[in-house]
Amino acid sequence: MSSRVLTDFDLLLPGSLEEALEILDRERGAVTVLSGGTDLLVMMKAGFEADKVMSLALLGDLNRLEFDSATGLRIGARTTLAQLVDSPEVRQHYPALWQSARIFATPQLRNTATVVGNLLRGSPAGDCSAAVAALGGTLVMATAGGGRREIDIDDLWVSYGVTARADNELAVELRLPAPDSGTASAFKRLTRVNEDLAKLNVAVCLQMDGDTCKSARFAMGCVAPTMIRLPAAEAIVQGAKVDDETLARAAEAVQQDISPIDDKRSTAEYRRSVAGVYLKRAVQQACGFA
Amino acid sequence: MSKHMITLNVNGEDHDIVVASNKTLLEVLREQLNMPDTKYGCGTGECGACSVLLEDNSAINSCLTLAATMDGKKITTASGLEKGDKLHPVQQAFIDHAAVQCGFCTPGMVVKSVSLLAKNPRPTEQEIREGLEGSICRCTGYVKIVNAVEAASKAMAGTAG
Ligand SMILES: Cc1cc2nc3c(=O)[nH]c(=O)nc-3n(C[C@H](O)[C@H](O)[C@H](O)COP(=O)(O)OP(=O)(O)OC[C@H]3O[C@@H](n4cnc5c(N)ncnc54)[C@H](O)[C@@H]3O)c2cc1C
Ligand code: FES
Ligand code: FES
Repeated sequence: MSSRVLTDFDLLLPGSLEEALEILDRERGAVTVLSGGTDLLVMMKAGFEADKVMSLALLGDLNRLEFDSATGLRIGARTTLAQLVDSPEVRQHYPALWQSARIFATPQLRNTATVVGNLLRGSPAGDCSAAVAALGGTLVMATAGGGRREIDIDDLWVSYGVTARADNELAVELRLPAPDSGTASAFKRLTRVNEDLAKLNVAVCLQMDGDTCKSARFAMGCVAPTMIRLPAAEAIVQGAKVDDETLARAAEAVQQDISPIDDKRSTAEYRRSVAGVYLKRAVQQACGFA
Repeated sequence: MSKHMITLNVNGEDHDIVVASNKTLLEVLREQLNMPDTKYGCGTGECGACSVLLEDNSAINSCLTLAATMDGKKITTASGLEKGDKLHPVQQAFIDHAAVQCGFCTPGMVVKSVSLLAKNPRPTEQEIREGLEGSICRCTGYVKIVNAVEAASKAMAGTAG
């Protein structure tokens, strides 16, 4: 058909979570996890070699999406971007996440691509990765024999494409904290057409008390080897009245947080010149004075 | 390489087949089942030519789906949309509105349009354009495709119930 074919590999299709965890335990690093496949199969078609692939396709009970106003949102490992877009609760309580899902890839990719797969791809461009980094949360890892470990989203991305996941671990669930009445969040992305990856993306989550920001989490993508938080910009907004002056200072402070490079989607120079503007607009969007 | 025995229902017909682990649903449809109506464009999820429908009318890219993971699934391809010798309203609208030029994108476009209308029977022009994102047409400039989907939406509303 074309050069974009998949070379041979063994495919394992466990029928239960326990079976999947036993395979990971036995094979250690020798097996690659396949979820929606929208990253992995593309990489394999481009030459990434995997001798053994374990598909999560039969683990149907991992696709939950449950919101509880006291405990927050639980997103199963197999939950797709389409499920997020269709959820009125995600739309209402986690605007940043919903907005990142709505513009994500294409309708048919959203039907298979998973939120958790986006996090574990470890790409600095991941759109729901940006939203989750701003909202905060933990990724629940499971191991054979009932082992569970929670990785804070702030500790997940180690370097480009590398995460804190151990070989024998399967991510089973993503947990996001419950918002309160002062929580405001938003996501923005700069790209050519929706189906392209971002030139730059940004997500913000602020805890507001009137027009004063009690605390803030900002995340930006495509400006460092991993998705990053923006501590210098966060420090300016925290404890301050969110007005034009604060936002102008935060937009300037972003320059200290980022280290963009030139690549095929954009240049370092361009990213530097839009980073502050996009941060400002995301905060304005979150706080409703866009 | 591992082989997998699967039962795949395509357009209402069961096929018991053995598929190799590295074969995509698209390859199995075209090469193993000799059903070339679903097209190969890019192979990497970008063009939408390979779109097929799942049972709930959601569309997926068959080029990024391993056939071995589809055991027991029911799918519909473009050629499975017609009822008897009557074309699906979306297919008829594509013909009536000249939304087909070279035709290569058409099976995927039609499948995506059916999927869109199943979720949103009366889409606005903007919603049609968003619903068809990820389906690339190099000929028509999209205007006639959008017109065809609008017409199909009206035709289907008229026949509903
Ligand atoms: C045409 C196209 C457009 C795209 N557009 C966008 C876009 O707009 N924005 C964006 O952010 N991304 C985009 N992507 C990238 C991709 O769709 C996303 O990153 C997607 O969320 C990946 O999820 P998946 O389930 O398909 O992951 P997979 O490809 O199955 O897996 C991705 C990685 O995560 C690991 N993994 C997955 N699940 C688990 C688990 N439960 N436990 C342990 N490891 C796991 C896999 O081993 C692999 O390394 C696009 C891709 C394509 C092909
Ligand atoms: S061939 Fe599948 S999207 Fe292009
Ligand atoms: S009609 Fe030729 S690509 Fe669409």
